[in-house]
Amino acid sequence: MTDLEALLTPGLKHWLLLGAVLFSIGLYGLLTRRNAVGILMAVEVMLNAAALNFVIFNHYGEPALVDGQVMAIFIIAVAAAEVVVGMAIFVALFRHRATIDVNRMDTMKD
Amino acid sequence: MITDTAAAVLFYLLGAAAIGLALAVVNSRRLLRAAIYLMAVLLASAGLYVMLRAYFLAGIQVLVYVGGIVVLIVFAVMLTRSADLLADKPSRLRQALGGVASIGFLVLTAAVFLTSAFPVGVGGPAPPSDTVAIGRRLLDAGPGGFVLPFEIVSLLLLAAVLGGIVVSRKTPPPDQPFTTGGDLPGEADTTRPLQQRPPHAERGAP
Repeated sequence: MTDLEALLTPGLKHWLLLGAVLFSIGLYGLLTRRNAVGILMAVEVMLNAAALNFVIFNHYGEPALVDGQVMAIFIIAVAAAEVVVGMAIFVALFRHRATIDVNRMDTMKD
Repeated sequence: MITDTAAAVLFYLLGAAAIGLALAVVNSRRLLRAAIYLMAVLLASAGLYVMLRAYFLAGIQVLVYVGGIVVLIVFAVMLTRSADLLADKPSRLRQALGGVASIGFLVLTAAVFLTSAFPVGVGGPAPPSDTVAIGRRLLDAGPGGFVLPFEIVSLLLLAAVLGGIVVSRKTPPPDQPFTTGGDLPGEADTTRPLQQRPPHAERGAP
C-alpha cells in the first residue's frame, strides 16, 4: 500500500473532517441568511453534521453499545420539535408584520 | 481489497455530494430550491449512515427528516412568501464576515482533529441487529440506559405540537389569553362573551 493510498483511505479523521466541513457550511448559512426560514435550514445542516459526528464515534468507538446512534435519534427528535415551533412562530410573525427578515425582527411587541 | 476501494469511492462520492449540496443550501437565492437541496443533503447523510452501519438510523433519517421536516420547511417557505425576500442576497460585508467566521471555525476544528490522537479508531464488533440494540438501549432503565431522556423527548414533542398550534392559530379559543390575533378585523371578537364585543360584531351574532 503506497503512502498516497494510506492517506486517502477513509478513516476516523476523514469522517470527522467531513462532519466539520458540513458544520462550517451550516454556520456560514446561519451568519449570512436574512430570511428566517433560510436560517432554519442552515441550522438543520448543522444539526445533521452533529448527528453524523455522533454516529462516526459510535462506529469507530464501541459499535456494540449503540450510544452514538441513540444520541443521533434524540437529535432528530429535537430537530423535528424545533422546526415545528419555528414554523409556527414564523407564520404568526408573517401574519402580523408581513416579513420574516431577521434584520427587522427587533421588537417583541407590535 | 475491492470492497475497501469501493467503500473509499463511495465515501468520497457521498461526501462530495453532501458538501456541494450543503453549499447550495446556504447559497441558493431561492428558498424553495434550498429546501430541495436540503432534502438531498439529508439523503446523502442517510447514505453515509449506511456506510457507518447505522441502518436503522438511516431509515429514521429518511422517514423523519426527508419525509417530515423538509416538508414542514417547504410549508414554511410557501406560507411566508414575502416580496422583499424573494431573492435573499446577503451583502458583501456579511458574506465576508460569515466566510471568515466559518472558515476560521473549520481551520481550528481541523487542526484539533489532525493533531490529536484519538484512542478510539479500532472499532469493535457491530451488534447483530442495530434495531434491537437501539430499542433495548432506549428502554433500558439500568445504569447507562436511556429511558429517562426517551420520556423527556416524548414530552418535548408533545409540548412542541401544542405550542405550534397555540402560536400559529388564527382565532383565540374562549377565555384563552394566548393568541396572535385574527386575520380579519373583528374576527377575534366572535369568541368573546357577548357583552364585551364591540357593536359591529354583535350584528352578525344570532
